[in-house]
Amino acid sequence: MAENIKAGHETARAQFSLRLTVLPFLAKYGTIIGLAIMIAIFSFIAPVAFPTVSNFVNVLNQASLGMIIAGGLTVAVIVGELDLSIGFSASFLGVLVTGLMVWVGLPVPVAIIAVLLVGAFIGFINGIIVTKIGVNSVIATLGTGTIIVGLNFAYSSGAPIAMGVPDAFVDIALGRLWGVPHNVLTMVLVIAVLWVVVERTSIGQSIQAVGGNPVASRLSGIPVDRVKIIAFMICGACAALTGILLASSLGSGTTSAADGYLLSAFAAVFLGSATLRDGEFHILGTVFGALIIAVGFNGLAIFGAPTFYQYVFQGAILIVAVGLSSLGRLYAAS
Amino acid sequence: MPETAFIEARGLAKHFGGVQALAGVDIDIRAGEVHGLVGANGAGKSTLIKILAGLQKPDAGRILIDGQPVEIETPQQATALRLGFVHQELHLVPQLNVLENITLGAPKPTRLGMVDWRRVRAEVQPIADKLGIAFPLDAAVTRLSTAEKWLVSIGRALVRKCRLMVMDEPTASLSEAESQRLFQIVRDLAADGIAVLYVSHRLDEILDLCDRVTAFRDGNRVLELEGEALTRQALVRAIVGGDAPEALIASDAPLSREVVFRAEGLRRLPMVKRVSFDLHRGEVLGLAGLVGAGRSETARMIFGADRPQGGAMTLEGKPFRPRSPVDAMEAGLGLVPEERRTEGLILEKSLAFNIGLTNLAALQVSPLLPLLRMGKRTTQAEALVRRLLVKTPSTAIPVGRLSGGNQQKVAIAKWLARSLKILILDEPSRGVDVGARAEIHRIIRDLTAEGLSTIVISSDAEELPGLCDRVLVMCEGVIAGELVGRGITREAILHASYAHAEVQKSA
Repeated sequence: MAENIKAGHETARAQFSLRLTVLPFLAKYGTIIGLAIMIAIFSFIAPVAFPTVSNFVNVLNQASLGMIIAGGLTVAVIVGELDLSIGFSASFLGVLVTGLMVWVGLPVPVAIIAVLLVGAFIGFINGIIVTKIGVNSVIATLGTGTIIVGLNFAYSSGAPIAMGVPDAFVDIALGRLWGVPHNVLTMVLVIAVLWVVVERTSIGQSIQAVGGNPVASRLSGIPVDRVKIIAFMICGACAALTGILLASSLGSGTTSAADGYLLSAFAAVFLGSATLRDGEFHILGTVFGALIIAVGFNGLAIFGAPTFYQYVFQGAILIVAVGLSSLGRLYAAS
Repeated sequence: MPETAFIEARGLAKHFGGVQALAGVDIDIRAGEVHGLVGANGAGKSTLIKILAGLQKPDAGRILIDGQPVEIETPQQATALRLGFVHQELHLVPQLNVLENITLGAPKPTRLGMVDWRRVRAEVQPIADKLGIAFPLDAAVTRLSTAEKWLVSIGRALVRKCRLMVMDEPTASLSEAESQRLFQIVRDLAADGIAVLYVSHRLDEILDLCDRVTAFRDGNRVLELEGEALTRQALVRAIVGGDAPEALIASDAPLSREVVFRAEGLRRLPMVKRVSFDLHRGEVLGLAGLVGAGRSETARMIFGADRPQGGAMTLEGKPFRPRSPVDAMEAGLGLVPEERRTEGLILEKSLAFNIGLTNLAALQVSPLLPLLRMGKRTTQAEALVRRLLVKTPSTAIPVGRLSGGNQQKVAIAKWLARSLKILILDEPSRGVDVGARAEIHRIIRDLTAEGLSTIVISSDAEELPGLCDRVLVMCEGVIAGELVGRGITREAILHASYAHAEVQKSA
């Protein structure tokens, strides 16, 4: 009897410490541990193919486009909104940039700048719909995203624009500098800029504040609507950049090439919120999230896993990511 | 009228932290009577209602229905005991129509497993007729006026065949005509044998409507009156806890100091009807009154969070028309809002983040480059934390981890990084302990000594004496009294808070 009671106390204490120490720790460092475990397992199973410098560069290269679009999405999510239009938007803008060069004959830099502005403009429209009309951001961006799919088909007739893409454009993604792929360098630059903007500028502080508490932000003199619109514009511009770089990598503008980035970007952002901070979205976390996804895909590819595993992996990781994220917030709140 | 009580409470006690909300009160409500419940803010009225509704558990005491002890631990049990509540905030589901709202959660007749709405309607229609519901039962509740929503809420309690109906401040947002209609309904309910507990700040209403009245003060029952003994004077004395002081509206004391801010006839209906006052440099101006008197709404207009429908403001002699909080801030105003957790602070962000938020432009490297000097942000926050004696291990931890009093100091600190002319503090010491309250008062006095003008809104009549140079008492959207210097006492404030009858006659 006394033994039983004692055992009960022990269990209670074990549960107590599990709830108070282990789970919060997992919520904060679980993703980093997960990444390390994945790398260890892949290195163990495929010691020749996986743990090499060239494969790591390859992983980074594969991760770079997803990281840029996820970085932009992070800004929208920090301000407290979702943007479901980014994948469709990136697809369309990849088509548009090649069209502007091939059909209109615009010089490469002009076409790129124009398309980046179009991306920001799509974000602006999303922001206006959400703040001034008051449409929930999930619905608003689902709507604009679908409209963009329509625009894409109208513009390209559904056929890839592959002929006559300038070499200078293709070189933007496929070229290397000191042996490092351009995409990796672009990604590092974009992530660095996004980090500085979010963590070290007035607009970044305002974005964080509005996401944290819009009422308190307004009463602290922050123009809440304008801040949300700017966050959507940053998100839209990042989607545009991903679309441009993807078209450059493929050497063509393909109608639905970037659609799949939506899901992986969300997975990266939510995994990131469960990294280092308690369920808080942040740029550095998104980098880890995107890395996990890239390493996972790379491993699956090295083992020659059939395509359907990629979908299973991606769906599962999205659920795990959102689960960890809400776990983190739960412990931050308690 | 039967003399035995339908429901009785004996020795109910409840405390929150160190605050004794109810200190062992008795009350009994008879079938067929309208029983009034009065008391100042924090006297324990709401706590009693919440206990009866099964929303809170008493620390001690018991409740009897028809003489039998009962346990009310959940709202479902309260419903099963046939207790009905119409709370101040009407909990209607906007997506559902009138009929669905009235029968929400009530058992409904079914046919083949589906709700038989025709029979439901047939059951509800007599109740609707009795309440004089003229709008169709399938109307959307969002289309209804406040008065009509009240009828729906009352209908909801009647459908469940309640024997006690508790109404909390029903007329607070109703017009005169709507109130009259409500009173008739209340009388009809009582005539049908329902016990009504009617909670209101409006003593005229209470005198008009109630058969018996119980008064609470500081968690105690201080009075129970009926019949001839039920007079306005007796009620006021019970609520205030003493006789009213002589000179109530005694101002005209020459205030030689410079007028910083002036409001003339500010109006934003329904809460603010006509508000005019001066604020002097270096003054602590109290704004007292009951909950719902229009004080916070006045503050929001001054701060540009809401637009006035009429009236004018001047700041240092110049017209002042803030279109947003940004305008007000640029003119040198600050607001520490009533709800510090939901309006004043971003809880999951650090102290430095919160304090820096009102001052981002000044923290930039240059006006054109929006990069922030994080080091300066930290030193600024640390200086303010030291100055206001905020107890925290660092300025990097989330402000939500601090105690209530320290959170409030941070909510004040975020304004002090700016050059301010006027600081408005809405309920600055609500929910903080006695020590923190004293420190917050010291901070307010120190700030005004430096030439800042402050407006302090407080529902706690004990807070303002000793803190304020002058107190304006608001009542139903107008300034009902002005107290200066030694005239600022708890009794004088409470007395003026209940002055609405005189105010409305003179208006």
